[in-house]
Amino acid sequence: MDKKSNFLIRRIHSLLAIIPIGIFLLFHLSLNTTVFWGSANYEAVINFMKTMPLVWALELIIIFIPLLVHAVYGIWIVYVAKNNVLDYKYGANWAFYLQRITALITVVFLVFHVYLQRFMVHEAADVISGLTGYLQNPLFFALYALGLLAAVYHFCNGLFTFLISWGITIGDHSQKICRGISLVLFVVMGVWGVGILTAIAGF
Amino acid sequence: MASESGKFINIKVKRQDGPDSAPYWEEFNIPYKPNMNVVSVLMEVRKNPVNAQGKAVNPVVWECNCLEEVCGACTMLINGVPRQACAALIDKIYDQTGFGKQIVLAPLTKFPIIRDLTINRDRMFENLKRVKAWVPVDGSWAIARGPRVPDREQQWAYIISRCMTCGCCQEACPNVSNKSKFIGPSHIAQVRLFNTHPIGEMHKEDRLDALMLEGGIQECGNAQNCRKVCPKEIPLTNHIAFMNKETFKYAVRSWRTK
Repeated sequence: MDKKSNFLIRRIHSLLAIIPIGIFLLFHLSLNTTVFWGSANYEAVINFMKTMPLVWALELIIIFIPLLVHAVYGIWIVYVAKNNVLDYKYGANWAFYLQRITALITVVFLVFHVYLQRFMVHEAADVISGLTGYLQNPLFFALYALGLLAAVYHFCNGLFTFLISWGITIGDHSQKICRGISLVLFVVMGVWGVGILTAIAGF
Repeated sequence: MASESGKFINIKVKRQDGPDSAPYWEEFNIPYKPNMNVVSVLMEVRKNPVNAQGKAVNPVVWECNCLEEVCGACTMLINGVPRQACAALIDKIYDQTGFGKQIVLAPLTKFPIIRDLTINRDRMFENLKRVKAWVPVDGSWAIARGPRVPDREQQWAYIISRCMTCGCCQEACPNVSNKSKFIGPSHIAQVRLFNTHPIGEMHKEDRLDALMLEGGIQECGNAQNCRKVCPKEIPLTNHIAFMNKETFKYAVRSWRTK
């Protein structure tokens, strides 16, 4: 392979999105599901997570570095595309365009999300009470839900294109089935995520 | 059809006098006849190069060759869609848009313009050389019959072999732009075609290497427009997915055996 080629970085960019970022996203939503059983429940689970040895190293290696690499190279990919959805109004072309729009929304959302809920406050009780206050503002709730839905769309549609980019779904039939699975997953994860926000706003 | 005699075909052409001059639009009215195509309309413009305002102008420059949708030379944007002018029948266009509706002609946007509707497609031919899209059998003496290609492979390989490097897929692909060096969908399918051929297969590593260079298969973003616009109905997205698998396997094997 030529040294100048971006083949390796494109494949790493694609892989990181699923392992570990996609898996982390599912894990993150699963942990937050504990809010449905009350904020004390949530706090107990988060405090347990914090007792894990070298939790800072896990955050760095599983979350921060992969996200940073994916986001920085991904912004370059967004820049390179010459979008043409108005000339070619096909479903897959819209999905391609939305993948890039949601990429940018997700970057902004995550910077805000990590600052607000990881660095500004770090105690589980403070995180949840702070967020409850913010989410009771309808505008904040709408923007926050938009960020969450953008991230979920980016993951679900990305899963569909990941399967093509790695040559797993090759034919029309397998691609069509996985397109359907990706759509169902988007709806399920979207309802799940907004449900969590609604529960937190209700405390 | 009698009621349509005395009527005109109105076309609007995006013109450009030279590679570096500014583009401009010009309209022409051509007397309607049944069974015309965009090429024959442009030939009428050439016979009598007078624009819709009645002013004598230089005739519109365009390329065409085979007139049966196998060479790709007359590819242009017709009402915004990249396709061959020879296969664009005026009556069929009117069936969709309504009789007499203006037909807009423009050169492809992803290639350097030479003049009017004529573009420079060298880039596509250079990239075909880069991926070695041929079977190297030429020699100075006769060699025996080659191996046979199984029927099940012929079925899909024949469809790829219909590719005429017309540039429609490159035009529709959002990842083919002046900001990227993407070789485009057609060339990825060509690698599959020649890597499947029993003799072409002997050079498959060279083609896979070429496909993984800067601007190679990794630039595909799965927008899947290529397949929708391909006039030869090549399922480009399936071939790209297959070559994604092949290049990945090849990359792993190269690394392990290095």
